[in-house]
Formats: sequence, C-alpha cells, structure tokens
Amino acid sequence: MPQLARRTDAAYLDFVEGFRAYILGNGANFEQRLNDALVAEGEARGAALVDPGEISELVRAWPLGRLRDRLARTQQEMKWHAIRRSFDEQRAGLRAELERWDTSGPGRLLLDPDFVYPPYLNVHFHLQPGGYYKDELSGFLYHYGTKVFFRGDNDRDELHEKLVGLVPGPADGRVGRVLDLACSIGQSSTAFKRRYPEAEVCGIDYSAPMLRVAHRRAAMLGDDVTFAQRLIERTGFPDAHFDLTFAFIVFHELPLRIIHETVREAARVTRKGGMFAVYDFAGSREMSPFQRYHRWFDARHNGEPYSQDFCDCDFARILRDNGFEVAAAPVGKRSGGAGYMANWFATRV
Amino acid sequence: MSEISTQTPEGGTPIAGPDPVYLENPVLDATVRMLVELSAQVWIERERRLALEAVLEQRGLLPREAIESFRPDEAQLAHIKAERGRFIEDVFKELRRIPVRDTQG
Repeated sequence: MPQLARRTDAAYLDFVEGFRAYILGNGANFEQRLNDALVAEGEARGAALVDPGEISELVRAWPLGRLRDRLARTQQEMKWHAIRRSFDEQRAGLRAELERWDTSGPGRLLLDPDFVYPPYLNVHFHLQPGGYYKDELSGFLYHYGTKVFFRGDNDRDELHEKLVGLVPGPADGRVGRVLDLACSIGQSSTAFKRRYPEAEVCGIDYSAPMLRVAHRRAAMLGDDVTFAQRLIERTGFPDAHFDLTFAFIVFHELPLRIIHETVREAARVTRKGGMFAVYDFAGSREMSPFQRYHRWFDARHNGEPYSQDFCDCDFARILRDNGFEVAAAPVGKRSGGAGYMANWFATRV
Repeated sequence: MSEISTQTPEGGTPIAGPDPVYLENPVLDATVRMLVELSAQVWIERERRLALEAVLEQRGLLPREAIESFRPDEAQLAHIKAERGRFIEDVFKELRRIPVRDTQG
C-alpha cells in the first residue's frame, strides 16, 4: 500500500489502531460488560433478549453503552480523516502511480467505459469518504482503512492467505478457473493464484478505483490475475465457466434482492461439482445479545445498511434453493470475538 | 464527514446522519471526541520524540542541553506555527460540529 505523507500521519493512525483494539477488545471490555448486563436483564425478564430493537433501547439507556457508541464512531471517523488527508497531499503522485500500472503486466485490467453504478451501491460503507467508487483513490483509502481495521494482523495479507487456504477445492481436484466475486483490491484473487498457479484467476468488482489498485498490487507481486469491472449479480461469463467461485465479506453489503441474484449467478457460472466458498457475517441466530446490538449499531452508524437483512436471512437455504449443497462450520475466533464470522462451503449439484 | 448520506438506496436500515448524538447533548459528544483526538496528538508527539532521541543517541550528534537552548529562526518558527495550527485544528475541529440547537442522532 502507498506510504502516508508524513510520519505524523502514521503515528496518528497507529494511535487509532491501538485505540480501536482497546475499545473493541479487552481493554475497555465494553463487549463483555454490556453483554453480561444484557444477559442478566434477560434472566430478570424470564427470557433471553433477542430483539435488536429491544436490546438497543436498553444499551442506549445505559451511559456506558452510549459512551461505547461515541468512541466506536469516533475512531472510525478519525481513521478516515487521517487517511484521506494524507492521501490528498499525495493525490497527483498517486494518480500518476495508478496510471503507470494500468497497462503494465503481468495480469490485465479490464475497465468498462460504459459501466453504470446501480443505485444500491451509493453507500458510504464503513463511513469511507466517497464510498467504494466515488474517489479515484478509493482503492488506496480502502487498503489503508482495512490495515487499521485488522489492527495490523493483515499487513501482509495474512488473513486472506489463510482463509483462501481453508477453502476446500472441488472433490475432483480440477481447478482450471477461479472467480473472485467483489474482489475489491484483489487480496484473495492473488492468494488463489498462488494456491492454483496453473489456473486462470479473475477478480471482478464494480469499483474501478478498487480494480486499479488490485491490478497494480497483483502486477507488483508478479501475479498473473485478470481484474474486470463487472457486477457480481450479472457477471457476463458463460454457464459453468468456473471450477471455484469465491466471495469474501460481500453479501452483508448487498440488498436482499441482490443477494438472491448473486447466488443465482454464482450457481449459473460454477460448474457441477465446483465449489462456491463464502465468508461473511454469522447469522443473527448465532449471536450473543451484545453481538445483536453491535449489528444494530453497525448498520446505522457504520455504513452497513444491508447487513441486518443479511444476518437475519437463511443464507444456507438461499444457497440450497439455487442448486448448492452446503457444508458450514465456524471460522473460529477472530478480532471482534467469536460468533461474528461464518463460512459456507457450497458444492454445485 | 459531511458526504455521508442518510439515504439507504434500496431497503436495508436507515443510516444515521453525519453527526449523531450519542451522549446527553452535542457538547458532551464533542468533548469526548476532543479528548480522544488529543490523546492521538499526544501519542504522535511521544512517538516522534522517541524516534528523534534514538536517532540523536545513535549518531552521537547532540547533547541534551542543545535542545533546551534551541531558538528557531524565522523559517523554522513559521513551520512550527503551521504545525501548531494543524494540531489545534485536529483537536478542536469538533467544535464546528456542535449545532446551535440540540439534535438527536
């Protein structure tokens, strides 16, 4: 990722990273303390609390809950404030850097000059300034933003490498083509290329700024991956074209209608016996009371307007209804605590 | 964060506006933001001083009393004042976000 303009910016974001870990982790211990209180409240009422509206009324009535919300929002705003200011200072140079790599290989960048962004994408996900596509530097902003989000644990794409490594390939072992849906800056795409060096790997996304950074990053790493600007619900690829189709934390950022359309499209382009692997938020039914609150808060105050609908839907059933057999298992504990993430490994039948 | 829209394009959950109020009033919210911002600025200074002291020590360049007796020239002074302005803006920009009338997020 590009360097920040100043050492001061790096120190500022270093603080935000540490502060984020403190308020969301065991430092301030908000999650455990508020969850304990919610569990106790449920016991007092004779039934565990499950309704997000009821839970949110409680949490927001408690000073500790309101302060936690204030701090959670503040660290996110501080992160973007510092990243955008630092990249704004280097805007001309970063623009030139992207232009320099657009036509360099290995790999290809295929942007669609007639691409129309559907209205449902007009969201400032995670409060990122300009959202995912309105700023020419959205890809760089996103990359540095996720560095802070993952608290330094993904600086060398360790998380993507690990999750891609956990995906079971098709039972027949044949992997000639891989599709990375909503690939953003292509960290999973390149991980797949390394796992299957002989395969054609294609990452698609709607965001041209993300794809330009994805291509630059892959080319710099020497990975031959194609990045193309396409909608994941209408990819334009032939039927049964891919042996392995992948989606990393995208479904919670889609309206329900597009979730259904995307699964239908994944079923169309994945060959019989092929694998459709999905990592995303866990369903509401598996969440603790505080995790339900966090989802309620995140949807409204962290630019995740569609996430509640995804967590409330029966995603495994949507997969089955579209011709997949689903094996699911918890991913295990990660930042934010157990229960936030899940995976669906679905075989096309 | 003025670009953040309250619109939700298709279904989903209504998004909070650019300046939701979490605490009893906007002044308290701004006070907390300023406190966190100030902590960031303090850390920046401490990190830089640690780096600087390490470099100076490594190179054997500067006795400690030289820092105490340092007087900036005009250009250095202008730079320091610009940095001071940036520092004040970072910490106190929250004051601009307090509305004249109380609002709820």
